[in-house]
Amino acid sequence: MIQIENLYKTFQHENTSTTVLNNINLHIQQGECIILKGVSGSGKTTLLSMMAGLDKPSSGKILIEGEPISKLPDLFASQLRAKKIGMIFQHFNLFDHLSVRENVMIPLIPSGLNINEINQKVTQSLNLANISHKKEALASHLSGGEKQRTAIARALVANPNIILCDEPTANLDRTNSLLFIEILKELHNLGKTIVVATHDPLFDNVSFSNTIIPMQEGTIVEGTVVNE
Amino acid sequence: MNEILFSNPVIVYLLSELILFVLLLIAFIISIRVLIHWDFESFSPLQFKLEQQAYLVTTITLFVFSMKFLLLLYFAFTVDSLASLIAGAMCSAGVIDANEYGSPLLALKLLILFGLTLWIWVNFYDLRTKNYQWFKEKSWIFMVMFIFITIELLLDFTYFTHIDTHQPVSCCSALFGQLEGANPLPFGLNISTLLILFYLLFALVILTLLTHQSLLYIVANILFLYIAYFAVVYFFGTYIYELPTHKCPFCMLQKEYHYVGYLLWISLFLGSYIGINSAITALWLKEENQASIKIVMSLLSFFVLLCSTYVAVYYFKNGVLL
Amino acid sequence: MLNNAFFHFLTLQLFKERSKHIGIIIISVLILFLLSSVLFISSSLRHSLNETLQVQPDFVISKVQGGENRATPLTWSNELLNIYGITHVSPRVYGRYFFKSKAKSFLIVGVDFLDEQAHKNLQKLIENIDIKTFLTQNSMLVGEGVKEYLAHNFYDKSYNFLTPKGEFKTVKIFQTLPTKTNLIGNDMMIMPMDLAREILGYGEDEVTDIGFNVPNPDEWTMINDKVSALHYDVRVVNKKEVQQSYEHLYNYKGGVFLMLFLILLSTFMLILYQRYSMVHSNERRHIGLLRALGWSIHDVLKLKLLETLSIVFISFILGVVTAYIYVFIFSAPLLKELFLGGQNLTSTIKFTPVLDFSVLSSIFFIYALPFISAVLIPVWRVAITDPKEAML
Ligand SMILES: Nc1ncnc2c1ncn2[C@@H]1O[C@H](COP(=O)(O)OP(=O)(O)OP(=O)(O)O)[C@@H](O)[C@H]1O
Ligand SMILES: [Mg+2]
Repeated sequence: MIQIENLYKTFQHENTSTTVLNNINLHIQQGECIILKGVSGSGKTTLLSMMAGLDKPSSGKILIEGEPISKLPDLFASQLRAKKIGMIFQHFNLFDHLSVRENVMIPLIPSGLNINEINQKVTQSLNLANISHKKEALASHLSGGEKQRTAIARALVANPNIILCDEPTANLDRTNSLLFIEILKELHNLGKTIVVATHDPLFDNVSFSNTIIPMQEGTIVEGTVVNE
Repeated sequence: MNEILFSNPVIVYLLSELILFVLLLIAFIISIRVLIHWDFESFSPLQFKLEQQAYLVTTITLFVFSMKFLLLLYFAFTVDSLASLIAGAMCSAGVIDANEYGSPLLALKLLILFGLTLWIWVNFYDLRTKNYQWFKEKSWIFMVMFIFITIELLLDFTYFTHIDTHQPVSCCSALFGQLEGANPLPFGLNISTLLILFYLLFALVILTLLTHQSLLYIVANILFLYIAYFAVVYFFGTYIYELPTHKCPFCMLQKEYHYVGYLLWISLFLGSYIGINSAITALWLKEENQASIKIVMSLLSFFVLLCSTYVAVYYFKNGVLL
Repeated sequence: MLNNAFFHFLTLQLFKERSKHIGIIIISVLILFLLSSVLFISSSLRHSLNETLQVQPDFVISKVQGGENRATPLTWSNELLNIYGITHVSPRVYGRYFFKSKAKSFLIVGVDFLDEQAHKNLQKLIENIDIKTFLTQNSMLVGEGVKEYLAHNFYDKSYNFLTPKGEFKTVKIFQTLPTKTNLIGNDMMIMPMDLAREILGYGEDEVTDIGFNVPNPDEWTMINDKVSALHYDVRVVNKKEVQQSYEHLYNYKGGVFLMLFLILLSTFMLILYQRYSMVHSNERRHIGLLRALGWSIHDVLKLKLLETLSIVFISFILGVVTAYIYVFIFSAPLLKELFLGGQNLTSTIKFTPVLDFSVLSSIFFIYALPFISAVLIPVWRVAITDPKEAML
């Protein structure tokens, strides 16, 4: 499903270079839920953006369902991202001047679907994320939890197989965080592959996640914790 | 300063050509850099940057192409508007013939449009591959086109600065009319054999198009283009003007003839360009495109039909042929 | 097309971020307004001129002495009639009449009201006039400008012309010419030919010049030579020469304007380039987010270019329409003075509305093409925004 082999990432700044990811190897199966854990600066966000093809590795391979996403021309990488990957960001990253419905619509726009088909998918997704009652509200008028659910709806609207979450609970209170974990569980039951990068202890013993991968200074620390 | 340079359409036209050239120059410089350093397998940040810069080249070329297409029409119009300024000129034919740069310039413009359509074709297939397979080919076409366009710009300025408004030029009847004894038609044809050849070639073009015989098709279409030009000027045109002695490829662009010339020449050239380009890419890149066959068929058929209709309508109205 | 989600999103973006575009639109509309007004005026003038020339005879001959036109003997017209290929020979009498102060002069045009051909030429001017009553006494038709001037000098009903022989001739002001003919008719006085002869001091068998037509253009050169050979003191002028000299004049005026306009245009392009290069970090984040959500560089380019195109289009329509209203409905106050200033005309001129494709396409090429060219590179730079921006 997701295959990462010998992945390196080095940032070059004038004459200093920092290696942020150092020989990462990871195989994630369809339907798995992976939790990347590590302190701030350990390279979780960098790794997630490589998986989504948002950033290019310095060397190594990332295969998403057999496609080498980091070496695809932009047109194909974008298509892969649009169809197969749903992203949930640390700061929700909504368009503040657009309504909830319009925000959720965005990933489908380049697909060439007509507006009726898109509206249908948006409605489904809004229901799934439990935010349809606010669909005409402006994104800037939402509470943190509502924003998060809008972001979830947006991630799900193209019905992707893979969901990548970067610090999804960093800006949420405890109740909303628990609610988010509930939604993740539902998605897991739907058979989605889920990768969560977080340092929130709430994720330490979630029932449905079988793998917690600790990261440290750009490497995966030996002794992967498996809840079983 | 030359009076012609004060003519508003000429100023607008030259300015537009100049601006487009500046854009192309930028694209050209980027292209060279990209071509030198291009290595698709590499993971270096440079390669990723080059891939992004290639988008700029693509955007500029597409923009320039669409503008060049419109500018060719505008050029035809500009030249036509100059006819009233130049002694003896009745239509564009005389203006184009006002100095020795006019005809090469027009021919070069048609060639450049052809090159740019070829570039668009290759670009289309290139973006459809997962490793920019045709990138080098595409870039080389661009380079060659850039050289042509540079020459075109120079010719543009030379042409318009060297028109003498007082030197009388010939009108189209003198340029295209039959001189005593001399046959203007190629291959020693006469009007009836020209027409037979015209329709035969059209049939051959359609046949080779439908049977995907690319090489034969290219030859047939180039021949057809050549013969169609003469057929329009020396036969069909006289029916458009309804005057057996009026032989001119330009007058039909004027309002008196409902601008039918634009329709005629655009359908002929666009159809041929698309067709020949598809055939070239089919031979060269082994890429076939079904949609273009339909487009080419309808454009060329439209052209032939339009020509023939003029003759038929004249016959119905007057009961005789010219 | 309206069913297309892309256009839906485009209109949404344009509408929600309208405050961002308003500045560019205002500048564009101003520039377009100026440009279109000038081009409209010049093309309208050219159009009226061509229409006037259309009804003029193809050739005009007159007697010359020392390079100046002199009274032409009427007998010449008979000689013309003998040349094969010449039709519509029409002797003409006209000239400027100076008022006592010499400050003002008007054009007197003598018309043979019983001659068919003369009628055709002046048809527009004398459309609604009852010729019978007109001819019963010495009367004339005057342009708006003439009437105003005369009324100002207390000549409401008639005017007393002073002939070169020193006699006064009272001519009744019969009617004014229709206003739509103002460009040519404004300073005209139209009267019967014999009356005009008397006032301008021509003899019985003298005219100002003689016009004639040659229907077959192929014969123009030949006839030109033949007529020139009739007398040693004949000057032959053909219509095409006149038209050319006018064309050159208008081209010159328009061309000088356009060259000055180029300075404005390059400033405009510079402003556009800077405005589009100045990208807010917020906007960069938005674009990065679009890319992270599966938009390709191609999609973003398409969005941004269509956005630009919409702005170009909106400004184009607004600018051209306001210019049209300004020139053809309000007769272009201020600009008109610049164009026609110094001429013997008052402000009663109306421009004939002409909106031809050529003017519109010129406006398009001199406005839209530089606009899009200026923003192409900044737009591309925005479109390749690193999608990683969304993660930060
Ligand atoms: N563009 C860049 N240039 C240089 N260094 C960078 C760049 N982006 C990230 N880094 C460095 O890479 C390291 C890993 O960053 P990353 O954002 O992946 O950490 P993280 O694990 O997500 O941390 P957090 O929990 O705070 O989000 C950091 O030390 C950061 O400074
Ligand atoms: Mg992070």
